[in-house]
Amino acid sequence: MRKFLPFVLFFACLTMISNSLLAQEKTITGKVIGEDNRPQSGVSIQVKGTKLVTVTNQLGIFKIKADPKQTLIFTQVGSVKQEILVGSKTEINVQLVPSQEQLDEVVVVAMDIKRNSRELGYSTQNVTGKEIQSTQRDNFINSLQGRVAGITVTPTTGAAGASSGIILRGFNTLSGTNQPLFVVDGIILDNSTLNTNSQGGAGIGLASDLPNRNNDYTNRMADLNPNDIENVTVLKGPEATSLYGSQASNGAIVITTKKSKSTGGKILVTYDNNFRTQEITRFAEVNNDYGPGASNGIPTPPPTAGQFQSFGPVWPSTTKLYDNLHHFYKTGISQTHNIGVEFGKKEMGFRVSGQFLDNQGVIPNNMLQKYNFKISNNTKIGKYITITPSIAYTYSDNVKPLKGSASTGGFLLSLYQWPANNDVTNFTTSNGGKTTLFNANVNSDYDNPLWSAYNNYSGDKNTRYVSTLGIDITPFSWLSLAGRFGYDTYKQDGYLITHPQSYALTAATRGSLDNYYRTYKGYNHTITATAKKNIGKFTTRLMVGTMWMDNEMEQYSVKGTQLIDSLSGGSMYKNGQIITKLNPADSNISLPGSRVRLLRNYFGLPNLNILRELAYFSEVSVGYKNVAFLTYSHRFETASPLPAKNRNYNFPGASLSLIVSDIFPVIKRGDIINYFKLRGSMANTARLNDPYSNQAVFVNNQNSSVIPGFTYGFTNANPDLRPERQQTFEVGGELRMLKNAITVEGAYYNTLCTDQISQGYRASYATGFILNTTNASSLRNEGIELTVGVTPINKNNFNWNVNFNFNHMWSKVLTLPQSIGILNDYYNSDTYISNVRGGLIRNHSTGTITGSTYTRNTAGEILINPATGIPLVTTGNLLIADRSPNFTLGINNSFRYKNLSLSFLWDWKRGGDIYNGTEQALTTLGKSARTSNRNTPLIVKGVLNDGFQNTTNPTLNSIVINPYFLTSYYTSLPDEEFIQKNVNWLRLRDVSVNYTLPKSLMNHIKSIKAVSFFFTGNDLVLITNYHGADPAVNSNNPATGGIGGYGLDLGSAPTPISYSFGMRANF
Amino acid sequence: MKNIIYKPLLFVGLLSILFTTSCSKQIDDAYKNPNAAVVEPIESILSGVIGSFTAFYSSAGTGYGVQADAILLGRYIQYWGTTTNGENYGQMGGTVNSDNTGSVWAAVYYGQGQNVNKIIQWGTEQQKWDYVGAAWAIRAWGWLELTNEYSDAPLKEAFNTNLVQFHYDTQPEFYDSCRAVCYRALSFLNRTDGKVSKDNLAIGDAYFFNGDVDKWKKFVYGILARSYIDLSNKQIFLTNGYADSAIKYATLSMATNADNAAVRVAGGLTSAVNNYFGPFRGNIGTIRQSAYIADLMSGNNADAFNGVADPRRWYMLRENNNKTFKGFTVWAGTTGVAAADYPQNFWGNPTASSTAAPTVDSSRYLYQNTSPWPLMTASEMQFIIAEAALRKGNTSLALTAYTKAIDLNFDMITTTYPQNVAVPNQITPAVKTAYMSNTAVIPSNPAALTLTQIMLQKYIALYGWGVHQTWIDMRKFHYTDLDPATGKQVYANFTPPSGANLISTNNGKLVYRCRPRYNSEYLYNVPELTRIGAYQNLDYNTYEMWFSQK
Repeated sequence: MRKFLPFVLFFACLTMISNSLLAQEKTITGKVIGEDNRPQSGVSIQVKGTKLVTVTNQLGIFKIKADPKQTLIFTQVGSVKQEILVGSKTEINVQLVPSQEQLDEVVVVAMDIKRNSRELGYSTQNVTGKEIQSTQRDNFINSLQGRVAGITVTPTTGAAGASSGIILRGFNTLSGTNQPLFVVDGIILDNSTLNTNSQGGAGIGLASDLPNRNNDYTNRMADLNPNDIENVTVLKGPEATSLYGSQASNGAIVITTKKSKSTGGKILVTYDNNFRTQEITRFAEVNNDYGPGASNGIPTPPPTAGQFQSFGPVWPSTTKLYDNLHHFYKTGISQTHNIGVEFGKKEMGFRVSGQFLDNQGVIPNNMLQKYNFKISNNTKIGKYITITPSIAYTYSDNVKPLKGSASTGGFLLSLYQWPANNDVTNFTTSNGGKTTLFNANVNSDYDNPLWSAYNNYSGDKNTRYVSTLGIDITPFSWLSLAGRFGYDTYKQDGYLITHPQSYALTAATRGSLDNYYRTYKGYNHTITATAKKNIGKFTTRLMVGTMWMDNEMEQYSVKGTQLIDSLSGGSMYKNGQIITKLNPADSNISLPGSRVRLLRNYFGLPNLNILRELAYFSEVSVGYKNVAFLTYSHRFETASPLPAKNRNYNFPGASLSLIVSDIFPVIKRGDIINYFKLRGSMANTARLNDPYSNQAVFVNNQNSSVIPGFTYGFTNANPDLRPERQQTFEVGGELRMLKNAITVEGAYYNTLCTDQISQGYRASYATGFILNTTNASSLRNEGIELTVGVTPINKNNFNWNVNFNFNHMWSKVLTLPQSIGILNDYYNSDTYISNVRGGLIRNHSTGTITGSTYTRNTAGEILINPATGIPLVTTGNLLIADRSPNFTLGINNSFRYKNLSLSFLWDWKRGGDIYNGTEQALTTLGKSARTSNRNTPLIVKGVLNDGFQNTTNPTLNSIVINPYFLTSYYTSLPDEEFIQKNVNWLRLRDVSVNYTLPKSLMNHIKSIKAVSFFFTGNDLVLITNYHGADPAVNSNNPATGGIGGYGLDLGSAPTPISYSFGMRANF
Repeated sequence: MKNIIYKPLLFVGLLSILFTTSCSKQIDDAYKNPNAAVVEPIESILSGVIGSFTAFYSSAGTGYGVQADAILLGRYIQYWGTTTNGENYGQMGGTVNSDNTGSVWAAVYYGQGQNVNKIIQWGTEQQKWDYVGAAWAIRAWGWLELTNEYSDAPLKEAFNTNLVQFHYDTQPEFYDSCRAVCYRALSFLNRTDGKVSKDNLAIGDAYFFNGDVDKWKKFVYGILARSYIDLSNKQIFLTNGYADSAIKYATLSMATNADNAAVRVAGGLTSAVNNYFGPFRGNIGTIRQSAYIADLMSGNNADAFNGVADPRRWYMLRENNNKTFKGFTVWAGTTGVAAADYPQNFWGNPTASSTAAPTVDSSRYLYQNTSPWPLMTASEMQFIIAEAALRKGNTSLALTAYTKAIDLNFDMITTTYPQNVAVPNQITPAVKTAYMSNTAVIPSNPAALTLTQIMLQKYIALYGWGVHQTWIDMRKFHYTDLDPATGKQVYANFTPPSGANLISTNNGKLVYRCRPRYNSEYLYNVPELTRIGAYQNLDYNTYEMWFSQK
């Protein structure tokens, strides 16, 4: 019932105001269309000289009362103002013409409110749906990189269905999520990525409670059909999102979907398709010259253990060597079909859209299939009410081989380290098993990468429904009420299987299977009332509203082993039968006695993760003469993860916008500067802890017991947590010059995050626990953003635009929990790959990596072991790198010549270190390119650790080593050595060419209105100094809280290059 | 017009009050963790805590307990070594930058820690005094084990969840606390009022004493006995009557093998229910018996039981392909061992060099999947009496106790661990009698009994499971102390590593303590570690223990 209360409220309001209608003059109706003949909503129609104003509805229709002598003024930002005398007309139709001068856009900001950009005291940036669609990317989030200043998109891998993380203006929390809020048509949608970590069964991960780094799961906003997007507004700072509250403390991505427009009763159909091929062109630098040998050039003739160590002599010239790298990946093929149907009449419009995507990825056994279907409607009921209901359905089916190290079933490192004399494509025995290289025990033999991809993999099927309802009521010209109600639900059923014969398992395990069944139910609504009043030279606006959110994730997970009974003669037996195929979707194939579940699953109940939040907010704006705008907002929030005593909190926000060019019109003289705006804002916001982090709980204890056993879980949960606090200020400006041929927008921001909830930090076990949670950390985040638009040519037939999005940011960790020493690091254990992790250290940036280093003397010189000539290593987690880039710059060029358009986006990243874990793994095996010159004697630069190392005259190292005979040189290198400093890249992210058949041609074909053809290329060019395959990978997916694993490269597949062709037709 | 505005406002106002009230209830409902309880029955908590004696196994952490540490510490006392030449623990090195030898630390503070506190708290509320007593007994065991392995550690501030840095207390404080806690445990175990129930205690205690409070008491007396015998090298041992205390409490403690404290496992398909040392878990594939134990039990130690082949060796040790018993020099690995003398691994893989279990399970003694793991035995108590009595000069009591101790150990081995011993090698009553009547083992004259005999028979009787206690014993004798009575080493012919075989960072000294657990203290309690020298001094592991000082 609670969910219906708001509706009741609205209808109640409606009946009470219905008798307020007064009528005396004649009614004029009409329709406003744009240059493209499409209906224009939100066009303001004013009776000249009066305060009587109306706006067009979604169908472009308006109604206003006026007498024949009056004049109607039609205004819309971005269009030329038109004045039309009423006269005898009762119907006035207007076609708007774009304005060259007035570029004030309407932007959709928090709460689905449209505001004129000149009023805004903070930065927002738009990306049109058209741009997003032209990139043809499956996961639309990937199309945002480079198009918005201050946005960092990191795909987890290059696999089909890979997740992508998105960070706005750097990392603001060390433990919680840094992902922004996604709001679609005013409704908050879930963008979570499955985290395999289940906190000893108390959470909602996998029953096997894996660290979140060996597999990837799609971030769920990828369910959104990119073709339904009309526009994306990126609200970067908490200034813009202080109204959305704690959920949007990382910013918000506000998406407006396409709405049906009046088609005059006609049915408009759009169809487009896309056929794509993908290739992997980049690989880690591998050395295949040397044969097997455990060390020092001593050959170990196969078959013996140690085959993977290539420290033997060079392959004899007679050995047949295989180019395994190029025989592993395949050509990825995908096709997409989109259909959109619009029809409508007067007060009602429908839009129906559908998409089918079939992506067979470049990695064997990797595929993504997706179906989208959506119906949206907008209807004007009576005179004051507009409703916009919609329902969207998504079904996706995704299969991915595991990533990460070979010992956990990942395929990629196996591929790189595979012996060159073995043909990787010969991977299965006649009875379907794994071919072995050297070991009689199949589980002790490494997994052939192809075999691994087909046998150690995960999959999930996802069915999602998103239903939304928008209600707008405008009882008076000065008052509008808006309600946005959304229900978002999905079921995600998946599995992760490790084959009984895999190297990742012991023979006794006989296979391992995780199954999970996840259901998300999210309801939220936002109801606002906005009143506007002009008082003399002041315009005022007051908005009050409430938001309610109830998000619930349910999960059943089960892990079982013993998928087979025995392995004999290379065949797998189950119940006396030979089996060749394991069905991972069936959790019953494991042995019942081996199964482990999440805590409540043992009682037939799902584990739950529930977040509820209630908020009230208000915003007051005052504008003066349309040149100065001051806005103040305040939000009161209460949320379920916090203990009752700290549950009610509130925070303010304020912003100021000054149109300097209008305050001092002299600036505009000479037509050099057309528009100059200064703006500033400051806001506080809060951030929540994860649900249940206040209560230390019991987890299963499986030690022999006759009843279920329980002991405390790892975490000393804190019953006194307070919300994190975040204070930001931002100053910036906008400049438009030379008739808007050049636009510049800049911002500096400064965010101080205090009282940060350090979740899961370590302290002495004397607490009685291993991990702890306290409000203990703080950090500061600063940055400069610059967006420059240049239109060098703007002719009727030829148009050229260039957009630059520049971003430079820096950060500093200020405090960490007291138990962490000055030089020690705070880290999220998911990022702990090999010995390296994303460790955070006080007074350094948030991008630091920690690991082992060279041992150095007080002068910073590397110390050399005088007995061996090999450098000494200091183990531990010491500062070795900083992943933060110096700057990023996106450059988007778009050309239009008659019917031909071309756009291409370059993405330049400069600086930032990367840990190349793949190279480290390969070096210790003698397989990395750095080991190719192992016959060249060398002297490691440094000083001998001979007692004189810290004197003024340390002994310079002069010990010549020949790594060929001293393998320990390679195997003992510190993690620091595998940090590649200052990695730059220049990527050609998207290239898109579109040709629309000329109208003259189309006039001959009656049923088709327009046809265009396009070519799109993604990631075609990557110029980088990075030695690994792809510098843009992530060792974790966005489910990992805090800073995550960007810049940590271990066993993640690179991004493929893609070519697609397609056509688009309008009927 | 007024009505038009005010009516809806009133309506909206009322509705929002209604709405807010219902919402805050819903918010409150969502606060509590629905997945995991903040309270569980103490019966279900005790079972996991008992698991932490040996090898804790929960969804949030595994392996905490004596077993994981025993694999490493067993090299200090030369129970076994690994196949690697120059191996750190074989060279008496300490743990650096890892959690090795930190399992007891984790067991006491985390595995038992708050769980034991809750059994005490909730058990008191529920008047289940037997549970409360058992919990205090576990805490007492923990304090003694902890300080004997690591010396100084958090005691008074322990389990304060509001602290993240902890002050270290000293060994004597731990000993005092341990005894105080023992008396407290006994006072609860003696209670029969309230909800005390053998059947109910048996629920949580199924795999330890199965609800038998008397055995829990004997366990507590055993802890007390240990707390005194551990100090036998100190002058106060005789002057303060500690010898009498040791004898008294050992006498009150386990008298028969049925009283033995042993953690049992159910066996099955998961690691949780299998013995940490068994083939299913696969944790001890690289270790092999030491030359010292092999020689001692083969009659090859010139100064102890020379010429007497111990029939227990077929149970406790592993033969080689020559069907003899040889072992590794713990710091040298396989070096110096002839291929044919290479002992099989403890699971008896016929391929002696293999680190895997054989296909057909032939594991024995403590190395089976379901072997009970002794924590304290009746035999050990008799050895305590024997040592204390001998030091007091009561040689006849010493000899009686010594004889009983060996007798009890034979019985334990033949009744609890008879598996997979070939018939010709089995201990029959005749074999046992023959051994026990050999005066090289048990002298007929009480005055002929030596400390060497007591300590080395104890060394054998505790082989495998009693690593921690044997290490205490050996440190009391500084590994190589001479028996004033015989002028020879108490641990006859025991040779600790020296020279290049003693890890260089020890600065020529033998190992006496383990460093506090790395991921607990070395990273997160640095100021206190620095205060006691553990952080900065590479030879902290050689600092002598309080208990072993005069």
